[in-house]
Amino acid sequence: MDVNYINPILSSFANVLPQLGLANVEKKGISLKGKFIESPGVVIIVGIVGDIKGNVIYGITIDDAKKIASAMMMGMPVNEFDELAQSAISELTNMLTANVATNFSNDNIIINISTPTLIHGKFTANAIADKVVCIEMDVNGMTIEVNISMEKNTI
Amino acid sequence: MKKVNVVIVDDSAFQIALLRDILTEGGFNVVGEASSLEETIEVVTNTKPDLVTMDMTIPGTDGFECTREIHKIDSNIKVVVVSSMMDDEIVKKARKTHVSGYAQKPVDAEELTLLINRVMADEELFSELDSLYSSIFKQALLDVINRTTKTVPEITNESNVNVEKNIEGISIIMGVIGKYSGRAIFDMSFETASNLAKALLKRDPKNNDEILNVMSELSNMAAGNACSMINKKNKLFGLRVAPPTTFHGESISISKAELEAIYSAVAKTQFGDLSMSIGFGRGEGEWMSII
Repeated sequence: MDVNYINPILSSFANVLPQLGLANVEKKGISLKGKFIESPGVVIIVGIVGDIKGNVIYGITIDDAKKIASAMMMGMPVNEFDELAQSAISELTNMLTANVATNFSNDNIIINISTPTLIHGKFTANAIADKVVCIEMDVNGMTIEVNISMEKNTI
Repeated sequence: MKKVNVVIVDDSAFQIALLRDILTEGGFNVVGEASSLEETIEVVTNTKPDLVTMDMTIPGTDGFECTREIHKIDSNIKVVVVSSMMDDEIVKKARKTHVSGYAQKPVDAEELTLLINRVMADEELFSELDSLYSSIFKQALLDVINRTTKTVPEITNESNVNVEKNIEGISIIMGVIGKYSGRAIFDMSFETASNLAKALLKRDPKNNDEILNVMSELSNMAAGNACSMINKKNKLFGLRVAPPTTFHGESISISKAELEAIYSAVAKTQFGDLSMSIGFGRGEGEWMSII
């Protein structure tokens, strides 16, 4: 795992979230985790293939996911984490990861991303890499965990 | 598929002759050529091509300005940059200018042909994938189980309905990336997983981690084999599978997919049920280059 994978993610948050009306974006912390990731409630997986392969695994609590979805929908109240809210959160991670891909391309690293898959419930995710870097982002008081499980593609 | 009409924009007569040969041999219809902005506008207006190959360095203008002018005439005309210059900044600008692909000179004939075919691939290609993928994934799953356990599962509950999936046990999710992107999900109960792992390892699994590993590998093989088979049918698909992520727990709800083609089925094995859900969306497809 390369620390150079962190900056493209930080810039992506700084680029994308203000456009969605979420202006206060701050890095809360970076930590190294084992391969197991406990679900905080909602987990979104985006696959990556190209010069780097792996997954970006986003984690959010149901409450924060509802608040973020509400902000994305111009403040429309979101009481249940329903299909519409799930779709908003999937789209958010799609935009964030696509922006990460663009940031990588500025460093001449070309990657393509898959459709996001959103999972909610009580479970543990098991990343393919033995060590996962977790970046905790604070977004208007809500927390989005970004777990990076990526490695250089040697084939 | 109908023959693709191409206009070549290049300031060198030699390059035009070379590209004309490559394109004609590749099965394309070269309908015109241009060496300046004015000629480009004129030729494109008159010939209404499907695609333009664009050089970057043209006296008095550049490939980007020409591309913008072409898109003013018809935004559906695809532009593929064919240039000896290639760096981050140009590629970034090319993407912003809605260029569809990029090939670096000297171009390889076969690669350029493939690139143009991929760019031109449209509705037809998605229907082709739609008609192929479910039977291929089914076959791949059967083959993998058959080869690893020497048993023949039965496929049941085939469906194309897009719904939220609720799972108790283990789920393996893999992103699929290529001309069209999507996902492949395999899931099963702990019991099925543990039985399957035991059969594959020919001993009791040491711990849960080992069971998860076996399931992840099994799913990866099935999805990887299926995507290779699809690519063999038509290499334009260029499908690749992202590494699997495994989930386990008492409640795993996988949200309804925003995908246009969905297929799910259950493989009844003597170890228990294993279900599979595959989906593809049209999306923007990947940026294409042969650099």
